[in-house]
Amino acid sequence: MDERFVQVGIRPVTALPVQEKKQYKDKPIFSMTVFMVIAMGCLFCNFFITKDPAYMDLYNTNAAPGAEFYFGTDAMGRDIFSMIWYGGRISLFIGFFASVISTVAAIVFGVFSGLAPKWADDCLMRFTEIFLSIPSLLLVIMIQAILGKANVFSISFVIGITSWTSIAKVVRTEVKQIRDSEYVIAARCMGAGFFRIMWRHLTPNFISSIMFMVVMNIRAAMAAEATLSFMGMGLPLEVISWGSMLSLAERSLLSGAWWIILVPGVFLVMTLLCITDIGNYLRKSVNNRRSNL
Amino acid sequence: MRHKNIFLYYIQKFIVFVLSVLVLSVVVFYVSRLAPGDPLYSYYGDRVEKMSDSEREWAENQLGLNEPIHIQYIHWFANAIRGNFGISYKYKTDVIKIIGGRLPNTLILGGIGFVLIYVLALGLGILCTWYEDKWPDRLLCKIGTVTSCIPEFWLSIALIFLFSIKLKLLPSSGAYSIGNGENVIDRISHLTLPMTVVVVSHLWYYAYMIRNKLLEEVRTEYVLLAKSKGLSKKNILFKHCLRNIVPSYLSIMAISVPHILGGTYIVETVFSYPGIGTLSYESARYQDYNMLMALCILSGALVILCNIVVQIVNERIDPRMKKDEGLQVSEVIEIG
Repeated sequence: MDERFVQVGIRPVTALPVQEKKQYKDKPIFSMTVFMVIAMGCLFCNFFITKDPAYMDLYNTNAAPGAEFYFGTDAMGRDIFSMIWYGGRISLFIGFFASVISTVAAIVFGVFSGLAPKWADDCLMRFTEIFLSIPSLLLVIMIQAILGKANVFSISFVIGITSWTSIAKVVRTEVKQIRDSEYVIAARCMGAGFFRIMWRHLTPNFISSIMFMVVMNIRAAMAAEATLSFMGMGLPLEVISWGSMLSLAERSLLSGAWWIILVPGVFLVMTLLCITDIGNYLRKSVNNRRSNL
Repeated sequence: MRHKNIFLYYIQKFIVFVLSVLVLSVVVFYVSRLAPGDPLYSYYGDRVEKMSDSEREWAENQLGLNEPIHIQYIHWFANAIRGNFGISYKYKTDVIKIIGGRLPNTLILGGIGFVLIYVLALGLGILCTWYEDKWPDRLLCKIGTVTSCIPEFWLSIALIFLFSIKLKLLPSSGAYSIGNGENVIDRISHLTLPMTVVVVSHLWYYAYMIRNKLLEEVRTEYVLLAKSKGLSKKNILFKHCLRNIVPSYLSIMAISVPHILGGTYIVETVFSYPGIGTLSYESARYQDYNMLMALCILSGALVILCNIVVQIVNERIDPRMKKDEGLQVSEVIEIG
């Protein structure tokens, strides 16, 4: 400041040290790294897996982890190390695909419900409540039975269409707040259809508030796939995924082969943990103000 | 809701409840019958394969399966309204009787689990708020995130492996040892592992919600006012903040019913615990229609009832509450 204009009567205040926020701070670097390693390992597993994941080495069933089989073999003599990376592809794919299906369903349903007149909106909301009141496990079993034998796509579909309700509710609330904005009315006056308004005008405005839930849906879908396969309703044993690997876990209890339980489980939990961490980062921080307590 | 006739208000809620259950029954009835499985299989077992066509027809006629679905539904409905839900194809006895025999087991597992989850979640939520951003809060958040990521079935298997197979401390399946049904200690030892799984896998989810609600609450102005009047931290948190989160606490409780119920289903199946969960799993897999319908109506009605009760309670506690504000969960209801 120019010395001629020094103001009098103001107590000189030492500037507070401004905390410089580092770029990487608060970002889930560790989780992102682990997740990338797992994802890349699964994508490029062909380059480093030691055995054919589907090959059944009947001389080495239930072999303990060692130099030849890094993570041991399962009850059918398949190499768990190779299966983990190979099967991770399907688990991750189901997670993402199911999440895409549920998100699209939720957006369409939520926007429709948000734009609809009050009576229709009430009916739709009542419908979601009824939908939620059927135990999801039973719903999944029944829908899967209608679709026939389970494969990767039908599993994703079943998981996707049973997990859209909570996102749809948030979308509906958001849409109700912005549906009377000028730009929506203007678009309507110019004759824009339902899908154009939804996609061009509404979705960009609420996408940030559902991003966290979408990521969490990936996590839920992966857990659901594992649960279903474990209970014998998901992927059959020949289709290698983390879930179908775990479906052998119950039988391995008695043979004491802990690695069949532990290895896929740890990979699954690690992945879910990383996804949760990334999701939490995406969640808009509720409150940055200081506590008054 | 103050100015409306309170009687009409409850009638309205009751009609909504009945209609919802009705729609639910129609949906489940159609969906379950669209599945291509063979319900005769669950009634006659392997003998179905040897049946001749005329025998099949006779059997289907006997069970009322050869009529169009809507006629079947009307028959079912006419009986159900009189309390007759038909016989189970698998057990060949009255559905109500079988469910009645299994229900207490599930109520013990789910009910005690529910209470434990809520008491502990509140405790953890308060603890985290008290020590916000200090080490107890951070530690709990880390541990909690990890436990909430572990799928229930895997946790069950891991616990069975550790405690039943390796340490031989606790039994791995059933609700009691044969001939020991009355022995309370035996029951408790059978209940320990499933209960642990139910509580551990859900606890953090709710504790975290309560923590966040409380954290929002302690940032409001009235807390500052109370503090400047010289009230103690304990006083503010327990007398003022806790009261204000009661509506959210109650709605979270109600929403959690299907969630925890679904969780007990999976846990029951893994532990072969003779409850409603194993029963519904069997009935859905093997097309035991009457059983499936009764179970879906039972659990569905419970969930719908919880939703309505929470709406009523919320509106009475806090008249500012908008119609569906209490029921917003910004989390995902997942399988299990």
